[in-house]
Amino acid sequence: MVRQLGNVLIQATARSARALKWGTLRLIAAILFFGCSPERQSTADLRGSRLIEPWPKPAFVLTDTDGRPFDFEAETEAFVTFLFFGYTYCPDICPVHMANLSAVLKRLDPQVSGRVKVVFVSTDPDRDTPDRIRAWLNTFDPSFVGLRGPLDSVNVIQRSIGLPPAVIVDGDDDSYTVGHSAQVLAYTTDNLLHVMYPFGTRQEDWAHDIPRLVNGKW
Amino acid sequence: MFWCFAQNTPWTWAWQPYPGVWMFVVALAVGYTVGVRAVDDLETPRRRPYFILGLLVLWLASDWPIGPLGAGYLLSVHTATYILYSFVVPPLLLHGLPRETIRAVIAPRAIRSLVAFLSQPLIAFAIFNVVMLGTHLPTVVDGLKVSQLGTFTIDMAWLLAGIVFWWQVLGPLPELNPLSYPGRILFLILNIFIPTVPAAFLTFADYPIYALYELAPPVGAFSTRADQQLAGIIMKIAGGFIIFGTASVLFFKWYAQEERLGNKP
Repeated sequence: MVRQLGNVLIQATARSARALKWGTLRLIAAILFFGCSPERQSTADLRGSRLIEPWPKPAFVLTDTDGRPFDFEAETEAFVTFLFFGYTYCPDICPVHMANLSAVLKRLDPQVSGRVKVVFVSTDPDRDTPDRIRAWLNTFDPSFVGLRGPLDSVNVIQRSIGLPPAVIVDGDDDSYTVGHSAQVLAYTTDNLLHVMYPFGTRQEDWAHDIPRLVNGKW
Repeated sequence: MFWCFAQNTPWTWAWQPYPGVWMFVVALAVGYTVGVRAVDDLETPRRRPYFILGLLVLWLASDWPIGPLGAGYLLSVHTATYILYSFVVPPLLLHGLPRETIRAVIAPRAIRSLVAFLSQPLIAFAIFNVVMLGTHLPTVVDGLKVSQLGTFTIDMAWLLAGIVFWWQVLGPLPELNPLSYPGRILFLILNIFIPTVPAAFLTFADYPIYALYELAPPVGAFSTRADQQLAGIIMKIAGGFIIFGTASVLFFKWYAQEERLGNKP
């Protein structure tokens, strides 16, 4: 089991490392094209930050809260998938994003919310045990998927999709914070990332965009 | 830190000092002491406890933890603060002022003219409700509560509008032609309806109204929606309870007055 998991992680790391080179270039392009001018990214249809050129869904495998390998690409096929990197001890951004997504999904038509997956990847694997991640996600929505893996692997994945790696700041034995990206990435059913949602996205924005994303309007 | 405001930092139960709040409360206490000593009104001993209680409530509503919780974390606490500032503190402070002291304070012609203008029921009604509605607009809350000066402005607007409102109800000076008891009861009842508008928005809105509280670092397991609904209930129930309670007291005072005069209300 451990060896299987190790192989899975190594595969993920290798795949992600290949993507890293292109991810870095895309990150630079993203900053050049829309990083400094949020007004230009948004369209009349979607309230999130729309990418000029969509990015492919990353291929990685991490461990879910039941201890099983979770192949992100395969498991989220045909779903609108919101991918977020954070940690359960996060005092502000992570619980607000999760709470807002959860609140909106509960109010949407089940035909819409049933076609959405929310995937949370821990950037603090030392403290975020599977049980802790599960318990934390359950306070928002038991259907949210929690994933965990070595921080190096998670950071490789993040770099591959143009996000900065997570870093431990204010380090102390047990009471430290983790610097991490604040965007929720929205992968649509064409397996592409068309739009990202920064911190500050409000429930009414999610409620506006999710049905459109589910119905293929991006 | 002078005054509580939304800092957008994680909430902590570690105590924080707000010297501006202390200075404000101490300034009011010193002003009161100097004012009542200068006039030497026989009413002072009877009225002083109300003023002290008003100051105490004002301090509790403004200082840690209620002040910062309401300023930047929980809408329900913000609404409770509004109720305290508008419905509890002003009547206590006003009732705690001896009449001769009020007369001395408003003796200058300019102040007396201003008080006479603000004493008109329609003006008081308009000021109180415009302040109540204006300070609950999302753009105002989201825009002002992120700074100390902005939060202080909102708090002072509540307090001053509350004093104008309660001046009508308490009618402290007979020479300024206060409303009759039935007039005061009617004035109170009319003011029940307008707070229903923001209270209904808070209670029944599908999604959070204020970005400030929606995106604030969470405090406990309280969801934004539950917090907003509780805020609506506080606005309606607590405000209504105080208004109806006061109207009942005024009714019995009116009844007693009419009995003394040999009439039936």
